[in-house]
Amino acid sequence: MLFRRIVFAALLVGALSGLMLSAVQRWQVVPIIEAAERYEQARTPQAGGAAGEAAHPHEGAGEHAHAAGHEHAADAWEPAEGVERIGFTVLSNVLVGIGFALVMLAVMSVALRRGAVSGRKAMAKLNWRHGLLWGLAGYAVFFVAPALGLPPEIPGSVAAPLESRQVWWLLTAACTAAGIALVVFGKSPWRWAGLALIAVPHVVGAPHSGMSPFVGFPPEMAAEMATLAKQFVWASAIANGVFWIVLGISSGWAAQRFVKKAVA
Amino acid sequence: MQSQATTVATTRVAVLTKGLQLAFAFLLGAVIVYAAGFLQTSEVHNAAHDMRHSQGFPCH
Repeated sequence: MLFRRIVFAALLVGALSGLMLSAVQRWQVVPIIEAAERYEQARTPQAGGAAGEAAHPHEGAGEHAHAAGHEHAADAWEPAEGVERIGFTVLSNVLVGIGFALVMLAVMSVALRRGAVSGRKAMAKLNWRHGLLWGLAGYAVFFVAPALGLPPEIPGSVAAPLESRQVWWLLTAACTAAGIALVVFGKSPWRWAGLALIAVPHVVGAPHSGMSPFVGFPPEMAAEMATLAKQFVWASAIANGVFWIVLGISSGWAAQRFVKKAVA
Repeated sequence: MQSQATTVATTRVAVLTKGLQLAFAFLLGAVIVYAAGFLQTSEVHNAAHDMRHSQGFPCH
């Protein structure tokens, strides 16, 4: 059964890419998150409360050290520091890897089917080298395009309301995916409209708060957090690059090995 | 004749269900990514916190 084969392949691919991501993340992304949280906790409560209210007037300024729109509810469960937190992060990485792998393998299968029907050899074949291209496309869709408007943020920074950023993020990923698919798989000259589609979310513009992201911090601390934020963008860009390359290559391999037979 | 018709019908059903299976796989993946990356429930947010930051999902 096709569905079962895809799920099986996605579990393999997701576990591999999620564990790979965890390793890279542990080494260069997590130290920056931890450093930012130390700043966040060191901030004076009044300043934090003021920033929190300025940024999120609908949320009460939490007594929690993570005030500035950070915590949803101060008394909500959270993993304990150390092994538990690392464990949940690894689990989340694997889970998101499985989710992305399911999406990737489903779309790859559609391409395989279309290739089999139309007899275009290049598309009927999928190996790890094609997988690499698919992985780079995934990186562009789910990391680069959204990050152009909303760079990955360190904890403690103030930004536009969460819902509007989530909507923009999803819109950008959808437009970029549809745009790339149109340019790559389209056959009429209309395929080039895909480029315009990719540009749409950036013309609309990502939501921004109009404030400095570290508005609640004393100036010298804000400067240090700005440096951290810059490092964080590159660290997450590298971690995601590794994640998507591993995910793409292993999906290409798994599609050929487990899924292709059931697709045609 | 009848077996031929049955074969055609079976093939059509197979094509249709394969399409459905692919759609389900895609949807399942999208739901998993949404749950891990976008769900705002505090517990889910706290558990997935570091992954969300690292993946560039809007987090707070």
